[in-house]
Amino acid sequence: MKRILDIGHTDLRLFLKHKSAYVWLFAMPLAFVYFMGFANHGPGKPYNRTPPVLVENADTNFLGRIFLDELSSQNMWLLDPTNRETAARVIRIPADFTSRVLRQQQSKVQFLRHDASEEADAALIEVRLVRALIAMNGHLLEAATATNLPGTLTEEKLRAVMARPNLVSLNAKFAGRKPVPSGFNFSLPGNLVMYLMMNLLIFGGATVAAERRNGVIKRLMVHPVTRLELVMGKIYGLMLLGVVQIVFFLAVGKFLFHVNLGANLPAVTLTLLVFAWVAGSLGVLVGSLVAAHDRVTKRPTRIRLKPWWDRWLPRMIA
Amino acid sequence: MSHLKIEHLSKTFGAIRAVDAVSFEVRPGEIYGLLGPNGAGKTTTISMISGLLKPDAGEVFVGGKPFWSNPQQAKRIMGVVPQELAIYEELSGRENLEFWGRMAGLSSSEARSRAVELLESLTLTDRAKDAVKTYSGGMKRRINLGCALLHRPKLLLLDEPTVGIDPQARLNILEFIRNLRASGTAILYTTHYLEEAETLCQRIGIIDHGRLLAEGTLSELQERLGGDRVFVLEADFKDASPDNWNGFHQRFRIIQKSERQLVVAAVGTRDSSECLKDLLNLPVRVENVTLKRPSLNDVFLQLTGRELRE
Repeated sequence: MKRILDIGHTDLRLFLKHKSAYVWLFAMPLAFVYFMGFANHGPGKPYNRTPPVLVENADTNFLGRIFLDELSSQNMWLLDPTNRETAARVIRIPADFTSRVLRQQQSKVQFLRHDASEEADAALIEVRLVRALIAMNGHLLEAATATNLPGTLTEEKLRAVMARPNLVSLNAKFAGRKPVPSGFNFSLPGNLVMYLMMNLLIFGGATVAAERRNGVIKRLMVHPVTRLELVMGKIYGLMLLGVVQIVFFLAVGKFLFHVNLGANLPAVTLTLLVFAWVAGSLGVLVGSLVAAHDRVTKRPTRIRLKPWWDRWLPRMIA
Repeated sequence: MSHLKIEHLSKTFGAIRAVDAVSFEVRPGEIYGLLGPNGAGKTTTISMISGLLKPDAGEVFVGGKPFWSNPQQAKRIMGVVPQELAIYEELSGRENLEFWGRMAGLSSSEARSRAVELLESLTLTDRAKDAVKTYSGGMKRRINLGCALLHRPKLLLLDEPTVGIDPQARLNILEFIRNLRASGTAILYTTHYLEEAETLCQRIGIIDHGRLLAEGTLSELQERLGGDRVFVLEADFKDASPDNWNGFHQRFRIIQKSERQLVVAAVGTRDSSECLKDLLNLPVRVENVTLKRPSLNDVFLQLTGRELRE
């Protein structure tokens, strides 16, 4: 046991002697978490997303404007027409909307799907649209039947009704599923497991391959160290490296990015430790299979950077 | 009782017989040199002795007990200095010594105090805290050697410990090894440097193509060539045929013959001047004759038909 701890502690010390370790353990993950979180930062809060909607209001009269206000009061994110490409749905208000409603005729408001939008976003918009329509109908009904607002329905009368406090309100939120993470809530856990796997595989594989090449592994084996102690020591060292990374990510997530770490932090930590154990074991396996340490480091770095150049950088520039 | 004894040790890699029935022993306070060119089987022999390779045949006894009956126990009394610099270059000299000491079974405090002693002995105290990667080649070699000595091994296996360092650093290491021998450590020293084997080792085994061709003290090996009388003749030997020279093979043994040089050892106990007279009377026009003590290279030449340096 003592030798396992010695090998592990020495390996951790060796990892931390490399400047590149600080880059890959701290600097790069931090940058990736920030940029990916920034790029993926969805509208609204994770537990109450507000996907963007484009409203094409052809009605120049007051009911079109009031309908827009009703949509806004339902936390609908109304886009400027110049950003129409990012809209999840389009709502089209016809030009005769006010006149038909005032004539007590049905008016057809179009609700159009944007091809690239997600179903979940569309559902959220639809719910808000229905709520806005119900609210508007309620306000119209109240204005039409109000005894103290005689004469034709005008914008002033309707806004006066809308300004009154609601006698009954419904505070609704989504149930039955966990919040859809976005922003740092999305990028931090994703980067944590990705960097944990990548670093333990690369550091583990490269270290074991290099030690095989320069004779350190052989030298360990001519000491009274069993094979089991050697393998466990190597995995333990990588586990310690994983712990450093996990603690860094969780601390940064909690205190810098204010990420929701879940209701059961010990269980999350235990899961991450098991993940680190598996990744460390794979790293040792890779190191024992490849001939040279540079074969371990080159390929994953290329693979790792490709999505960055292909996807994230153009998005960030745009 | 010898600290190391190997009997008929053999190892084959595919079609190559790397070590072929090698037997020798190393006694306490003795440096046994295993001399041979690169690829002779020295490192394979050391790998089998240290447990890195399992022999196909033969037995290794460490401290009188078969190695494979209790490898961990055998490794506790053994120190191995590999040919390559198998140390952590990012760690300091002291950290390296302490780590390898703990691997050898010392407690942390024992490893610390032994590291201080060894740094002193290896004259590395001034650089103890510096990373090994900043050391010179000779200093790295000394640390490489020191890492095998933390637990005061009774048996030390040194696999070409002076490869690639300058003469001064080599002398320092050889002096350190002599001191170890004086303290009673049994040392197996593999080398392909003739001078090291001649000046350092009490007994020498000459190995080539996996076979131990001869062993003994330097003088015993020299005796095989006729004591201290080896003659180097320079002449035009292109068309010369020693087989036709009357009684030549009864008086001299040919060690090497080339177009310009003939190296012979005198047979029997005749006086050197008589031998010289015989050589000058050969039916060739001798331009120069040198009398010298036979070197290990001459022994190797006689045993293998080629020079060790080839």
